[in-house]
Amino acid sequence: MTSTIEQTDHEFLDAACRTLRAPAGDTDPLDALGWWDLLADLADRDVRGAALALFRAQGRELASSTALGALIAQPFAALTGHAPGSLVAAIGRHSPRRGERQVVLGDVTGAALLVDRPGHGAVVVGADEIELAPVTVPGQLVVHEVVTDLAGAPATVEESQAGPARARARSLGRLALALEILGAAEGTLTLAVAHAATREQFGKPIGTFQAVRHLLAWAQTDCVALESVTTVAIGLDEDSAPPRHDEIVKALAGRNGRRICERTLQVLGAIGFTSEHSHHHFHSRVLALDALLGSSTELTYALGAWARATHLDPAVRASVLLRDPAA
Amino acid sequence: MVPRLPWGDDASAYAAAFEVWLASPPAELRAATRPIASYEERVAVTSALMRVLFDEGWARYGWPTQLGGLGGDILHRAAMWEALARHGLPAMALFEHLEVLAPTLVAMGEPGFLAEVLPQFLRGEQLWSQGFSEPESGSDLAAVRTRAVAVDGGYAITGRKIWTSWARYATWCLVLARTGTVASRHRGLTAFAVDLRSPGVEVRAIEQANGTDELAEVTFDDVLVGPGRIVGELNGGWRVAMHILSHERGTFAWFRHNFLYRQVLDALAHGEPAGDALLGDALLDLAAVRASSYAALRSHAADVPLGARATFVKLHLASSEQAVQNWRLASDADLAVGIQDDEAAAQRQDYLFSRIVTVYGGSQQMQLDTIAKQILRLP
Repeated sequence: MTSTIEQTDHEFLDAACRTLRAPAGDTDPLDALGWWDLLADLADRDVRGAALALFRAQGRELASSTALGALIAQPFAALTGHAPGSLVAAIGRHSPRRGERQVVLGDVTGAALLVDRPGHGAVVVGADEIELAPVTVPGQLVVHEVVTDLAGAPATVEESQAGPARARARSLGRLALALEILGAAEGTLTLAVAHAATREQFGKPIGTFQAVRHLLAWAQTDCVALESVTTVAIGLDEDSAPPRHDEIVKALAGRNGRRICERTLQVLGAIGFTSEHSHHHFHSRVLALDALLGSSTELTYALGAWARATHLDPAVRASVLLRDPAA
Repeated sequence: MVPRLPWGDDASAYAAAFEVWLASPPAELRAATRPIASYEERVAVTSALMRVLFDEGWARYGWPTQLGGLGGDILHRAAMWEALARHGLPAMALFEHLEVLAPTLVAMGEPGFLAEVLPQFLRGEQLWSQGFSEPESGSDLAAVRTRAVAVDGGYAITGRKIWTSWARYATWCLVLARTGTVASRHRGLTAFAVDLRSPGVEVRAIEQANGTDELAEVTFDDVLVGPGRIVGELNGGWRVAMHILSHERGTFAWFRHNFLYRQVLDALAHGEPAGDALLGDALLDLAAVRASSYAALRSHAADVPLGARATFVKLHLASSEQAVQNWRLASDADLAVGIQDDEAAAQRQDYLFSRIVTVYGGSQQMQLDTIAKQILRLP
């Protein structure tokens, strides 16, 4: 099913899955993959493809790292002078109960933390200098919320410079999240397909029943849609992406990812709804990632409202697709 | 007349040049961009446009030079139709069959015959229809009963085809007929190019639930077809059918979905805020089919068979078409209950047709079965 992606991306994806699956030793798996070095050259399509393939692997392997924050921080790192990977961005989100919050993914011990405050520039602070509270969600994600109030801290990156960096950071972050959602969806789909082939009822595997087969076929169709869209998005440069393209990719990922998890859960049956089965990790990860940098629901609605108001065409032009021989 | 050399190898440069040409659109394009409810008129204006595009050279790109084309591949055609949609053309009308049937005709047909008929098709003079389904053979295509019997001077075809797209407007029909026994199933089928003007052919248009007459029932009573009209091999009709279906389910989505974007852009003026979520959803589905059908185009251009993967693209196309029309109906109640001027009537046709896109080219249930069996390898 990985037939639409580039060969080099494919190879990196396989390598990343293997490395993340290997028993954790003292070595950082991202170090072992040479992943941090990729951050400096994201303008190169092949490098970008390899760097982003990590997220799909993280989804499949239920791995957790600071890669997303490092990727999002990268457009700011040129302004702050941080080496790639030494600056990790927190991700802003709105809590209906507690207002604007910042969360960090992965173990940020010892890292410099970038907290972006749209309208007021971004501040860089040592992660060890502020208070972080662990957030317990399933999905084998390491998540912390920033407790320290940094709203009044002086800006390290002024708003005039932070604006353009923010746009690029969000775009990269949304694409990475979409790929991690794809990986997690693929993870649960693999489990459900194996379950359908072996679980017997009425004297035969449930995968012989058309109702079950169609649920899984739809899930695979949604995976292929998401894979195709992320493949195109990886090939787009900052100037060739049509307006709101990153939001389309992220919204599609959240929508399809949730739909895939619902269908695989239906096939897995009650065992898929237990804590001992891995499905809930994939499912919860998809829910958590959907909620970051714009949920599918809010982005989809905003996209429709924007199209209606502007009458702009959000399609990637054929001429743009044809320019990229790898697309 | 467009110079023949510059863009045969470079679809990107072709696309750029075509865009420049479209900056001063011909009257035939402007005539084809207004809403037209009558299919007869729609075929006429689109044919007139194709004549201009052929004579100016644009429609000849993407087809082999020995068959009247100017070289290049499917990416040239992809660029041409995308640009036409962006510049206001609402649909391909019968020229959809240029992307469903013609690639197979070119790959498997008799070159001398094709050198004659392909330019006429491209120029909108002699159009083509597809005769696969029969009253007793729908999803089970291998059960085709229309017979072709060897006689002096070729084959005599007798039988009945139904849901034959665009037959009323076509000169030619690609007919799948049985040359072996019924028990031979898919191994005993042969594809024939049949001239619908031949004695013994009767075309009866079928008025559809959306008021159009795109489909027809075609009966063949001892219709003589010359031996050079076999497409592919004798008893090799299944391969021809599968080649066609890989286009109809795969690459065709690129061509069709561009007109769905057109429909969205044209309908934005009627959009109501209450429909914004549906509109957003449709744009997600359109992005999906655009990306997956573009991968199919690339695959085809690189001579890599799509195989069962075409079914994904087909499902993405159907989902996007229904999502677009869900939004259109929600935005514009005139489609359901208003006075049907040409604009509302054409949009109503599109809406109703979108309810059946999960049937043509292989029902959705069959597509899902194909994925379960050939991709997921379920027992």
